[in-house]
Amino acid sequence: MIEEAMTPQERVQAAINLEVPDRVPVLPLQTCYFACRYKGLDGYEMVKERERALQAHLEVYDELGGFDGQVIPGISFIFPRRLSGIVAEPLYKVPGVDLPRDSILQHDEREILLPEDYDLIADLGWNAFAEKYYSKFNPRPASKILEWGERQTATYIDDVKLWNEHGVPVYKGGEAFSPLMFFSMFRTLEQFTFDLYRRPDRVEAAMDALVEDFIQDAIEESKLTGLPWVMLVLERGGCFYYPLKIFERFEWKYIKRMTEAWVKEGITPLLHLDQDWTLNVPYFRDLPKGCICEFDSCTDIFKAKEILGGKQCIMGDVRASLQTHGTPEQVAEYCTQLIDVVGKGGGFILSSGCYVPVDAKFENVKAMIDCAKTHAPLQ
Amino acid sequence: MAELVDAIANIKEDEALTIVRHRLEFGEEPMALVEECRAGMAIVGERYQKGEYFLGELIMSGEIFKQAMSLIEPRLTGDVPTETIGKVVMGTVKGDIHSIGKDVAAGLLRMSGFEVFDLGVDVAPEAFVEKVVETGAPILGMSGLLTPSFESMKNTVTAIRERGIRDRVKVIIGGGVVIEQVKCYVGADAFTRDGAEGVKICQEFMREANK
Repeated sequence: MIEEAMTPQERVQAAINLEVPDRVPVLPLQTCYFACRYKGLDGYEMVKERERALQAHLEVYDELGGFDGQVIPGISFIFPRRLSGIVAEPLYKVPGVDLPRDSILQHDEREILLPEDYDLIADLGWNAFAEKYYSKFNPRPASKILEWGERQTATYIDDVKLWNEHGVPVYKGGEAFSPLMFFSMFRTLEQFTFDLYRRPDRVEAAMDALVEDFIQDAIEESKLTGLPWVMLVLERGGCFYYPLKIFERFEWKYIKRMTEAWVKEGITPLLHLDQDWTLNVPYFRDLPKGCICEFDSCTDIFKAKEILGGKQCIMGDVRASLQTHGTPEQVAEYCTQLIDVVGKGGGFILSSGCYVPVDAKFENVKAMIDCAKTHAPLQ
Repeated sequence: MAELVDAIANIKEDEALTIVRHRLEFGEEPMALVEECRAGMAIVGERYQKGEYFLGELIMSGEIFKQAMSLIEPRLTGDVPTETIGKVVMGTVKGDIHSIGKDVAAGLLRMSGFEVFDLGVDVAPEAFVEKVVETGAPILGMSGLLTPSFESMKNTVTAIRERGIRDRVKVIIGGGVVIEQVKCYVGADAFTRDGAEGVKICQEFMREANK
């Protein structure tokens, strides 16, 4: 074991500041599903039986020997106290309701917004559009949607409190989609792609009109929870999906604007970069200082280090399948490589690539955590 | 390069459809237009495989092709003759509703001359088996993004084996997180995280089958 000379928060902050901490911080992402399955809860129970789910989550955290905190405390969401901040929460298919009981929540992608909505959003802005047309997203009365949002936020804050009482810091205080991610999810990938080719100016005008509201919602969420990280959910704008000319016009300029606004407010933007962003990584050199670029194993994290080393903190990226079907030795070998190469000189947080999968092997997750505690980063 | 081939290859929707309408009005042989549309799509596929195009271009070119065919088909007499290099049954496995990776692979396989039987998402092992038997396809492609999908893939391979057809069907699995260990666990013949690589593997399967 490496002798620890920092608290978990100090260690994580040192990585964000691109310094070399006492050891590499380790933050497996969203361990709740895995913990619940490990303790025998099925997908339905994970979602519907909060007390049992939280208890399982805490127990597994301890059995793993602890780590540097929870990025996400459970499965609840955080919302600002207005309809426009809530209605755009992605719609999910629920285990035991829409899916087999032992599956996990999955986003149900449907064409909720129509091409003419770009013009309405461009004219009204997001908040006024959502207040007027919220029933496109959710058929329930506005008062019920607001109540649901308040319950979710209260539960989130309660979960944070419980973790803190357990001596564990929680980091994420808010969440946002980029405009591209938002429209892709609510138009569907296929229809949104048609829009980019058929009506690009209208798409851009709508994005211009809503981005400020997304920025402010996340700031408000962070204030409500008292937690300084905002997770910017990104997937659909990277080089797996689109060429750089589309990325530059419809994704990058908004990522830059959002992260700059948040950093100015003292918030740490966690860029949750699912899928392959390898060709986009050079742009991230121009993000404001103090961001975290979190990769899920589809992006070449070693190449990202070459490009972003000394510029941005990198987080990732133990592949989900390595956690489920690898051995502890294979996990340790990969984590050692990550610490030696990506962790060299600081600016690295060891993590799962995206969320820890529900069926990860306990000994593999432990191998990841133990590697951070035993293998020292190179100076 | 013919104008229509060029318009499709360069994702120019309005231009491509205008050319199709114009040439149909002038009584041109519809099969010639079908061939040019296919040639345009083949170029899109090649550019994707070379890393010059991305998923967006695949989606958009597929849409242009679909619209062009909807204009041409009413003028065709009889079925469109298709020359394929092989049949592939594919789908996203039971318990998983992610379709993007599967759609990429299906599109690229079609552009490369394969006949693809796409069963959609959340496909049960029995449905895969029935389609393989019905079509006589020598290749089965299974896609999954979530790690629990590996269990469904394994169950499907078991069902193929129990039906007594494992020795005549090559199985390839695909998805963002599949690795060698998963391939072994599932009992597949190959795995890929890359649609373009998946096409090459299927072409190799066909070469072996035709020996």
